[in-house]
Amino acid sequence: MLSKEEVMHVAHLARIEIDEEELEKYQRDLKILFDEIDKIKDLDDFDEDRMFSPCENAFDLDRRNVEVDKDNLLLNVPKKKGNFIEVPVMINE
Amino acid sequence: MSNYINLSIKEIHVLLKEKKITPIDLVNECIKKIESSDLNAFITLDKEGALKQAEELSKMEVSDDLLFGIPIAIKDNIMVNGLRCTCASRMLDNFTAIYDAGCIDLIKKHGMIIIGKTNMDEFAMGSTSETSYYGAPKNPWNKDKVTGGSSGGSAASVSAGLVPMALGSDTGGSIRQPSSFTGIVGMKPTYGRVSRYGLVAFASSLDQIGPMTRNVYENALLLNAISKLDRRDMTSFDTNEDFTRKIDKPLENFKVAIPNYFVSDIVDSEVKNKILEIKKLLEDNNVKVDFIDIKHIDKTVTLYQIIAMGEASSNLARFDGVRYGFSYPNPTSLDDLYSKTRKFGFGNEVKRRIMVGSYLLSGENAKTYYNKALEIRDDLQKNFLKVFDNYNLIIGPTTARCAYDLGDKGDDPLKSFMDDVLVMHANMGGFPSLSMPVGFNSEHLPIGLQIIGNLRDEATIYGLASFIEKNIKEDFSEVRNGL
Repeated sequence: MLSKEEVMHVAHLARIEIDEEELEKYQRDLKILFDEIDKIKDLDDFDEDRMFSPCENAFDLDRRNVEVDKDNLLLNVPKKKGNFIEVPVMINE
Repeated sequence: MSNYINLSIKEIHVLLKEKKITPIDLVNECIKKIESSDLNAFITLDKEGALKQAEELSKMEVSDDLLFGIPIAIKDNIMVNGLRCTCASRMLDNFTAIYDAGCIDLIKKHGMIIIGKTNMDEFAMGSTSETSYYGAPKNPWNKDKVTGGSSGGSAASVSAGLVPMALGSDTGGSIRQPSSFTGIVGMKPTYGRVSRYGLVAFASSLDQIGPMTRNVYENALLLNAISKLDRRDMTSFDTNEDFTRKIDKPLENFKVAIPNYFVSDIVDSEVKNKILEIKKLLEDNNVKVDFIDIKHIDKTVTLYQIIAMGEASSNLARFDGVRYGFSYPNPTSLDDLYSKTRKFGFGNEVKRRIMVGSYLLSGENAKTYYNKALEIRDDLQKNFLKVFDNYNLIIGPTTARCAYDLGDKGDDPLKSFMDDVLVMHANMGGFPSLSMPVGFNSEHLPIGLQIIGNLRDEATIYGLASFIEKNIKEDFSEVRNGL
């Protein structure tokens, strides 16, 4: 089991709120996953080249190649006022 | 009800050409079959759009393109302009795509008709499609069994003959594993072969779109259609070849490798025996088959977890309740909006993976886990490449066992990874890999054979697959007429 504090730390990193009643389940489930990924610490005998992507041409020039109009961009916005996206107040008055 | 959909694509094409049927007949048949099916294979059915397109195509001259007028189902993580794209998540329940994915551009150019969007595991995370917000699809061979996942809806719809073809996506087996469980042909192409533009990202260095069909030839035909260099995906490469060119050609000086790990104790004996039968079939036809060892082949679950969860946590950071998707009403602060939107918008499997991924990439952990995984991944790819110096292809089972009961997996955090233990290598190395049905177990559930090829060598896979397809006795079409 992970400690409650460890689970809360990981949940904060992921910006996912967890209820008190869910804590125990995550303490157990995340421990199972962490034990599996920790097996990588025992692995050795490999080259030190890293593979970020299986393809050779993973770097390309930045270019504008997508045309989407303003109305479409705003189509799926949950809360908007006119052409603005509405978010909670971030700065105290 | 008419039964044109069960004919081969070539036969349908002849009927269209001779004006004995029109695309409208095909669309009406698909819609009827989908509406009367209880497989829960679709999340969105686009009756109106499909019929409208069919009417337009019916006014046109039927081209020589075999895919003209053919209906197709699309996994619900691929954008089709104007249609809902949910990724089977509450998070995107009300999300409408505002552009077409790269492969959808091509599907439309070929005159194919998009019938709807198929059910899947939430954000493609899972191996049974049971993590779908819309409930699990059912396996046409036995409705108490899972379809596999994550492309479970696409697999069920092709297997049951609701549509002749479908697209899926494969990050760690999500095309091939459900293809194996439902007795169809599914290909994960070489990484970069099909544009990922418009595919909702899960693990960007592993994701690949691919065709799911009833037979090998039609699979190659659909891959022909969706492969093209796309500047909007920087991993897309120039691709202009006919993947059907080695189909039904003799297998000359052919050498195939079976990794010992693929027939080890982790594999169910019925599945293993079927693979050994295929080995014998090949040897009887002058194909040399050797058992080999590949270093690190048994370490992929650990590697996959680190790379896939790390990349997923980064990709899914975009779901914040601000620009699109589910948004928690009346938050007290911006942080409250983020964490409550993600709490209620994502399901358990997705939340677990994002949490572990966030931890893996935080601070020094990135070195301990992610960077080291990339180093071993590089090694694993080199080890596979060395095999291809001496062998044309690698074969083995797609899955260690056949489809199991719905509900069996429960909420087990490891099970979905273990289900894909034989198929993740291809994603790690970028290799093309196909699953095809080769037999049944004692419960009359399909067994899948996996064929892995060298980078960019899909054509050779199709060559061997077509040979095996011709030489096996079993018929995998029986569920297309409803069991």
